[in-house]
Amino acid sequence: MDKFKLKVFRYDPTKDSEPYYKTYELPVEKGMTVLAALFKAKEEQDPTISFRYNCRAAICGSCAMRINGHATLACKVQITHLLDKYETDTVTVEPIGNVKTLKDLIYDMDWLVDKLKKVKPWFIPKEPPPADGTEYRQDPYDHHRIDFASDCILCASCMSDCNALKANKEYLGPMVHSKAYRFIADTRDGEKKERFEVILDDFNLEWCVRCMECTTRCPKEVQPYENIIRLRIMAAEAGYKTPGEIHAEIFEKDIYNRGLLNEMLLPMRQEGILGAIKRAPFGIKMMLKGKVNYADFFGGHKVKRIEEVQKIYELAKQKEKEVKIRLPQIMGVIYEDKRKTRKRPNYAETGGNE
Amino acid sequence: MAELKYAFYTGCSAKGVAPELYNSTKLVAEKLGMELIELEAATCCGAGAVQEKDEFLALTINARNLALAEELGLDLLTICNTCTLMLRETKFKLDNDPELKDAVNEVLKEAGLEYKGTSEVTHFLWEVIDGVGLDKLKDMVVRPLKEFNIAPFYGCHIIRPPYLIGYEDPDNPKSIEMIIEAIGGNPVDHTARLACCGFHSFWSAEDKVTLKLTAMDAQSAKEEKADFMVTPCPLCHTQLDAMQEEAEERIGVNIGMPVLHLPQMIGLAIGLKPKELGLEKHVVSTENIVQKVA
Repeated sequence: MDKFKLKVFRYDPTKDSEPYYKTYELPVEKGMTVLAALFKAKEEQDPTISFRYNCRAAICGSCAMRINGHATLACKVQITHLLDKYETDTVTVEPIGNVKTLKDLIYDMDWLVDKLKKVKPWFIPKEPPPADGTEYRQDPYDHHRIDFASDCILCASCMSDCNALKANKEYLGPMVHSKAYRFIADTRDGEKKERFEVILDDFNLEWCVRCMECTTRCPKEVQPYENIIRLRIMAAEAGYKTPGEIHAEIFEKDIYNRGLLNEMLLPMRQEGILGAIKRAPFGIKMMLKGKVNYADFFGGHKVKRIEEVQKIYELAKQKEKEVKIRLPQIMGVIYEDKRKTRKRPNYAETGGNE
Repeated sequence: MAELKYAFYTGCSAKGVAPELYNSTKLVAEKLGMELIELEAATCCGAGAVQEKDEFLALTINARNLALAEELGLDLLTICNTCTLMLRETKFKLDNDPELKDAVNEVLKEAGLEYKGTSEVTHFLWEVIDGVGLDKLKDMVVRPLKEFNIAPFYGCHIIRPPYLIGYEDPDNPKSIEMIIEAIGGNPVDHTARLACCGFHSFWSAEDKVTLKLTAMDAQSAKEEKADFMVTPCPLCHTQLDAMQEEAEERIGVNIGMPVLHLPQMIGLAIGLKPKELGLEKHVVSTENIVQKVA
């Protein structure tokens, strides 16, 4: 293919009543990034295309946009890879999602900054600096816990494709929670309680639907989703009682007592007797459809070798405190499947990072 | 031909609110020549809930689940996206961190078990493509679903995050479409194809997030005139089928989109009866589908 189509989202609220798409035909050049293609279209065909950019090297986070439907940095993906990946002759660029568009590919940053401010995304030391004039020191393991989270360049790719944010704009979003994690998990930070109160207000932290879009989109391997989960672990350790914490306790009890979750008694245990009453019509509907396992109302069956499960459970609970779990580095990790396959999409060869 | 034999990990849903998934998987697998040895001693994967309270406990419990498959010398086959992710996450962490693996094995040893890392974690969806093969599936079709427009709903944990799943491109997966085409159906593209059903925030944000997503997803399939949606995940199914009426009520829309489990859809095409596949157990009526295939 020597030519491709660059289909650009266009919108100027001072002139246009509706957004529209304009397509530019460009030559396919080896190594050309989406950002380079936008420059070429702007310089040679249409000087009115508006987009943000700065470093052109995936460091500054300015050029995040949706490319063929998924948020990423325009300077990080190459046209030839996209044409192969989507088996198409068209590369579509749109502003990132979940945020108001100001003009063409430029989105309203203020909204994101306002959200970010809520968690005070700066270091607030818990004690004065050491008297001997050295810096605040940290042991390597403690630093490792916040290392990846510190790499965030605030490009908002994660915010763009977040499903919880799509449903509700009051959700703080992966970028903000991940930033909160970076400071709450910092052993030198002195405002953990205040930060927890912000992210746990109305259990905001638990609105996350675990869709994994944030971690998949992040161009810097910050692991926003994993950071949200680490925050939940820390909140549980700090003694906060949340719906997620109650949910986890139910799962743990069922694994210990019977192996599998007792879905029939879950609503009652999660929300108490009032919850059970509220859910009764739903329960009756499920009964009428034959989706109810009646034995479970009386405890149900246990998996085989349950004594073995209980022994392992108890030992793991005891050992938990002494085990230092290192965060896996996910950069460049592409799962290598060893099975021979007959017809498999070629993702294993091309990888997630263009 | 290689023997298609798997350690079958049912998960909780197939043994709880989705008995039709358990039954249809067994029937369809048998017809397709897959031998499923059920792991009757396996426990819940923790579903992300245990993972966010006691990480080490979750890893150890799942290391045990994986060790059960290793005992049989078989790959572990799941029928739930979240189980797939939790087990693959465990495997990834243990295989890449020898100290952690040792710590887990110290616990397992007390029960006479060991996690070695010799079994893969795979999903029914992938094994229909890689194990059975689409050509063989095509040969077995007796009732092509040619008059059906079918909206694939992948569910998050079978495509993301790629460093743990990595079966196919999470931005442009094709596996479900490949199966729909093999059984003669018409896959329809829709905006929620790769979206989230909202299941995992149900108890924290039912109204604020979950049911809104559920409604958007079913609506998206309806807008593209799909006859039904199909999903490889029982959690997505519970959300999209059993909770669809609730979503309609809260959002104030009328959708009525039937949702089939992947094995049910395949079953219809290879000659199994709707009743055998448990289509009457769905909350959103599957009557139109049943009548058409009759």
